[in-house]
Amino acid sequence: MMEVCGSTNVSLREFGCEQTLLSRPDGSASFVQGDTSVMAAVYGPAEVKVSKEIYDRATLEVLIQPKVGLPSVRERSQEQCVRETCEASLLLTLHPRSSLTLVLQLIHDDGSRLACFLNAACMALMDAGLPMSCLFCGVTCAINTDSEIITDPTAAQEKESRALMTFAIDSKEQRVMMSYTKGSFSVHELQQCIAVSQKASENIFQFYRDSVSRRYSKNL
Amino acid sequence: MKDTPLSNCERDFLLKAIEEKKRLDGRQTYDYRKMKITFGTDYGCCFVDLGKTRVMAQVSGELVAPKENRPNEGIMFFNIELSPMASPAFEQGRQSELSVKLNRQLERCLRNSKCIDTESLCVVSGEKVWQIRVDVHMLNHDGNLMDAASIAAITALCHFKRPDVGIQGDEVTVYSPEERDPIPLSIYHMPISVSFSFFQQGTYLLVDPCEREERVMDGLLMIAMNKHREICSIQSSGGIMLLKEQVMRCSKIASVKVSEITELISKALENDKRARKAGGRCGFAESMPQERITALKTDETSVEMTDASERANDIVENAEVPPQTVPSPVVPAPGVGQVGQGLQNTWGLEEEEDGDEEEEEQQMEEEQDEKEDSREGDVVEISDSEEEEVVILHPETQDKSSKNAASSSNQKGAETSKQRQKK
Amino acid sequence: MFSGLREKVGQVLVPGDEFSLEVQETLSLTEPLKPEKVLLGPGLKRRGDRKLLVVKSGVLRHKQPHVFWVENHQRRYVPAKGETIIGIITVKSGDVFKLDFGGSEQASLSYLAFEGATKRNRPNVQVGDLVFAQFIVANQHMEPELVCVDSAGRANGLGVFGAGGLLFSVSLGLVRRLLRPRSDVLSDLQKLFPCELVVGMNGRLWVKASSVQQTLIICNLLQSCETMTTAQRQQLFRRAAQGAL
Repeated sequence: MMEVCGSTNVSLREFGCEQTLLSRPDGSASFVQGDTSVMAAVYGPAEVKVSKEIYDRATLEVLIQPKVGLPSVRERSQEQCVRETCEASLLLTLHPRSSLTLVLQLIHDDGSRLACFLNAACMALMDAGLPMSCLFCGVTCAINTDSEIITDPTAAQEKESRALMTFAIDSKEQRVMMSYTKGSFSVHELQQCIAVSQKASENIFQFYRDSVSRRYSKNL
Repeated sequence: MKDTPLSNCERDFLLKAIEEKKRLDGRQTYDYRKMKITFGTDYGCCFVDLGKTRVMAQVSGELVAPKENRPNEGIMFFNIELSPMASPAFEQGRQSELSVKLNRQLERCLRNSKCIDTESLCVVSGEKVWQIRVDVHMLNHDGNLMDAASIAAITALCHFKRPDVGIQGDEVTVYSPEERDPIPLSIYHMPISVSFSFFQQGTYLLVDPCEREERVMDGLLMIAMNKHREICSIQSSGGIMLLKEQVMRCSKIASVKVSEITELISKALENDKRARKAGGRCGFAESMPQERITALKTDETSVEMTDASERANDIVENAEVPPQTVPSPVVPAPGVGQVGQGLQNTWGLEEEEDGDEEEEEQQMEEEQDEKEDSREGDVVEISDSEEEEVVILHPETQDKSSKNAASSSNQKGAETSKQRQKK
Repeated sequence: MFSGLREKVGQVLVPGDEFSLEVQETLSLTEPLKPEKVLLGPGLKRRGDRKLLVVKSGVLRHKQPHVFWVENHQRRYVPAKGETIIGIITVKSGDVFKLDFGGSEQASLSYLAFEGATKRNRPNVQVGDLVFAQFIVANQHMEPELVCVDSAGRANGLGVFGAGGLLFSVSLGLVRRLLRPRSDVLSDLQKLFPCELVVGMNGRLWVKASSVQQTLIICNLLQSCETMTTAQRQQLFRRAAQGAL
């Protein structure tokens, strides 16, 4: 069994976010983690094509646009991850036969891109005022060659890691909503990473709360 | 998704206001909206805000084989993406008319005007040249996408630095940015497009139309010019008929605007160069406005890890051992493999006959195998009708699953062959 | 009962916050037991028997005696019965007009739903006209339906309008602030220029003042006062009145 030493220097890079930065979408947000930045925009509930409509729920469509070139298979698989997380937390049955479109544009990739997509998506959905049963956030953990856990790795750290995991954590009970892993690791390491991600998610949720409070500070 | 339709009263009001030389946001007829140019973290990434219209351009380069008819020149590739983020009317994937038009205009403006020295992009003549790719993403559509795209594209090209290349005989080495400083592209001039919108059959003219003005306009004239007052491209669309004086007047206005915009671009490039030299961090993250209430930033935070490792250890120790889900395969007879026990067949009697047919095929296959394998004189009875030898398994459990049916037919095959062997 | 809710009035909540109903520990034997009622507005949903869930992020507001809701800066409109909106006619087919009001589907408006309309006497409505109408059917399962008459058959301000004015969009929050009984924004606006204002609860406003310039000024003022505090807004309106803009 591979031992993971109890790391005390687990930290998250600087966060930043900006809401309502675009005038056309119903909700928009940009999320920055260190140098990785992502912009998200939400339209909905809006008209849906008859071929895509679902009779009792809203149809959620997630589009990830890379910076260079056309979307490829990697973007499609990340879209699937983001879509499953959003579907689990949005109350889709309140808007049947309508469409929700979430567009994510990658601005700069310096590691932890899927986690950044998830965080930007959550902020944009909140900004659009779509009904959600809970918030979610994304945390990426990397296990490097010395078997240390690093949260929120940069691109260089990701390249040298033995395993890379991204978890989507919900805000009510800190449970794992979605996981995406790459590389080999033991069961013990997986549980360690999940525990670390749950702890890190507390910081992120507090950040969400602070940004929203600041946003409404003029109305109080 | 459809965009909101334009109502008659909006159209009438806009036309009436334009006749009185009033614009929606209080501008004059020849005024541009407030323009802001920022750069991203890596070279070649540029954001342009023209009022509320937002555009991002990214330049990238890679080594490819050159085109056959031009072996000494590099390749420029332009791509404008109308992202569904920019407007509800834009759809992913489909090449709409507007997208084709914008792509074509940008290509004519930048490629045909030969503003970039493509011969300097050649590394090994006939074999390796640089392909410079410019991707322009529309982030928010509030009118005049063409101007914003052209400004973003040319600024990103001026900002971009390609990796340095060393040639020794036949070997070509591409140095990473850490080994040798990257080299900027050689740009002769900066063509910038200026859009004029015409109303009431060419009587009234507005520069830099916003989205609502674009909806009521009759036609659009796009003039791409550089600061040396050379026209790089001119295009009129919408079917309006313009007089020669109008076109001359527009080109004069365009030259004034282009020089202002070129000033702004040079200043922005200067600021960015200074900031990078000073070693500060630059990029989208830094350009986020801090004082607005819609933006918030925090510093690097550490994560409290005290009870996390204990919790993880607890979870692992208290978890049950996962059941042996994949048993090792068993070979009951040559040519037959069995993995797991399978479940009882839960099909009804009539469906068992189908299963029997499958079984028959398998038994025949197995028989052939057995025939090949048996060297000794075991007499193997081959009868046409297999039905006496068929074992019908009575369903005892209620759950049905087609997977189990497949495995149970294998199972049946295995069992009957086992019985055969025992004979 | 919902003292937990009352404490949080005026604070910012995010989706996922829950309030649970406390059972009264001590019951008074002498007074009759009064059933407490709580009316939940947008942003709050009931989960199970004793729990309330916040589904939108915003400020929790309270109106006496027992109405709670979450106020936010949403821009997208979701139809609700009884609300009056500004719609744009898109299709005129047979007996029914289709209107776009900014929601997930188009609403239908029968040609008979106008004051004084009969089968012979059809209302004069063209594609692209603005209509101020009220929802009579507006739920998530059915196509929304609008009417331009009230229950007595009178127009009461509803109907076709729009010549000469300007239509623009604002957020839903600003529209609700304008429609409050003693709205501060509206009173500031009244001191400015005389104008005609139609407020649609789907975030659309229509303004007509005596000149094009004044109409444009009012339009820009309303669009910019969404994110201002009261003091800033009053200062801006004062500057506009003095003719600086």
